[in-house]
Amino acid sequence: MRDVAVLGVGMHPWGKFEDKSITDLSRIAVEAALKDASMSWPEIEAVSAASSRFSGGKGWGLNGNDIVEEMGSTGVPVYNLSAGCAAGGNAFNIGYTLVASGLYDRILVFGAEKMPKGMIQTSGVEEETDPEYLRQVSVGMPGPAFWGMLCRQRMDEFGTTEEDLARIAVKAHDNGQHNEYARFRQKFTLEDVLTSNLVSYPLRLYEICPVSDGAAAVILGSTEEARKRTSEPVYVASSTVATYTYDDGIPRGLASVSPLGKTQHSEAALAVKKAFDDAGLGPKDVDLIELQDNTVYYELAFPEEWGFCEPGEAESLVKKGQTAPSGKLPINPSGGFLCFGEATTAMGVFQICEMTWQLRGDAGARQVPDAKVALSQTLGLGGNGTAAILKR
Amino acid sequence: MTPVAVGLFVETSDGPRLLGSKCATCDTPYFPKAAICNNPNCNGSNLEDAQFGPRGTLWGYTVQYYPPPPPAKYDEPYQPYAIGLVDMVEGLRVLTRISTHAPEAVNVGADVELVIEKLYTDPQGNDVSTFKFREVRE
Repeated sequence: MRDVAVLGVGMHPWGKFEDKSITDLSRIAVEAALKDASMSWPEIEAVSAASSRFSGGKGWGLNGNDIVEEMGSTGVPVYNLSAGCAAGGNAFNIGYTLVASGLYDRILVFGAEKMPKGMIQTSGVEEETDPEYLRQVSVGMPGPAFWGMLCRQRMDEFGTTEEDLARIAVKAHDNGQHNEYARFRQKFTLEDVLTSNLVSYPLRLYEICPVSDGAAAVILGSTEEARKRTSEPVYVASSTVATYTYDDGIPRGLASVSPLGKTQHSEAALAVKKAFDDAGLGPKDVDLIELQDNTVYYELAFPEEWGFCEPGEAESLVKKGQTAPSGKLPINPSGGFLCFGEATTAMGVFQICEMTWQLRGDAGARQVPDAKVALSQTLGLGGNGTAAILKR
Repeated sequence: MTPVAVGLFVETSDGPRLLGSKCATCDTPYFPKAAICNNPNCNGSNLEDAQFGPRGTLWGYTVQYYPPPPPAKYDEPYQPYAIGLVDMVEGLRVLTRISTHAPEAVNVGADVELVIEKLYTDPQGNDVSTFKFREVRE
């Protein structure tokens, strides 16, 4: 396997765009990435696309084919990747692998989404053989209820307070206000968060992410391609994909085996561990993390589950400001899902864009000082997890 | 009452039970019934029908403050309800409704027992039932 560099990144801002199609959003992100890479469309040798469940793609998740038809049908191979909310991370992994293998020198990775209005159901299948469907009809438990339950258990185990949770949302918006691509750019006070409506006890409206429209694109290439463009390229140190393990303590359907240990979110933890192993790096080497903060709870649980701190320690890191861009462990300097809203399959690619800007030193008021190594992570329906480490 | 789904639970002379499977080789419990043992450490799938219940411990819970999206159904006007994760004595971890009139006052770590109760009334006027757990009243 050879080294892979990020040649260019580009995004369409996140929001709700009634007058634009998913292909419009995609094209704007792809054009921005091509411009950033000083590249023209016919130079792209292959496309690795996240499949949307909600829009475009001819109803089959063929979103990569849509963008090729839009940009120009050059005959390039197209890979459409489906992995729930991890699809963007999955598409990045395939793009990385195809360049690392030596098969292609210049590949486009992108994810885009136009989300339906209101709360979405997790599964698209209405059959009693589908465990998600069975849980929805017999219990009535949408995604945020899982986060609330995990949060409430954590309060009992570690004494987490409602202020601890709210502080994470305040930090997210302190960062997101400086991000021109973010959908929600206002600052929040602790009181703003603590007086927002309860959604799934103890989680409140400003402590979970809504759904958004958005698009992100990344062009990956060989070292030779990178050196044609810059003397200081951003490299992909590792890119991994995993699925959850049998001993995971969070049931994915109606039930699981009562676990002996405390393995949770194993798809994410496995992907992150493998990303560290493949890169020959560890938590102490990481200057910033872009993690999937569908909810503030993940900013407490994930750093612990990945070995960044001890169980029960995350609350004090947040309280001391250590997860801010100026702290020891900056988390989601972009503003994260809380400020962007989740354009599901675009998120894994959005994280790569933000990390690239951070490593180039181009992140403006949300810049992590002297960032050299960055870690990203997604997880999605079906027990899909991905991670990537970028470095300069 | 009409069960919300076929083959999930049953009322026996000893009280309500969940219907599932258990692997005779590795003792792994499954709910609902499974076709094959998916424990990667099992030496050979050998599933038998099994009933689970009624006792367990509440691991964690939440309150569902907003009406859940379809296909979940509920009676109008919508009333927030508690959802929890129960570790049953048989080694099964189950996601479930919590039967309570005070959803905010549920206790993590409480002893709970299985009940079959109404979930909603369908458009034809029939009550539809599901499995729930409630705190054991000593």
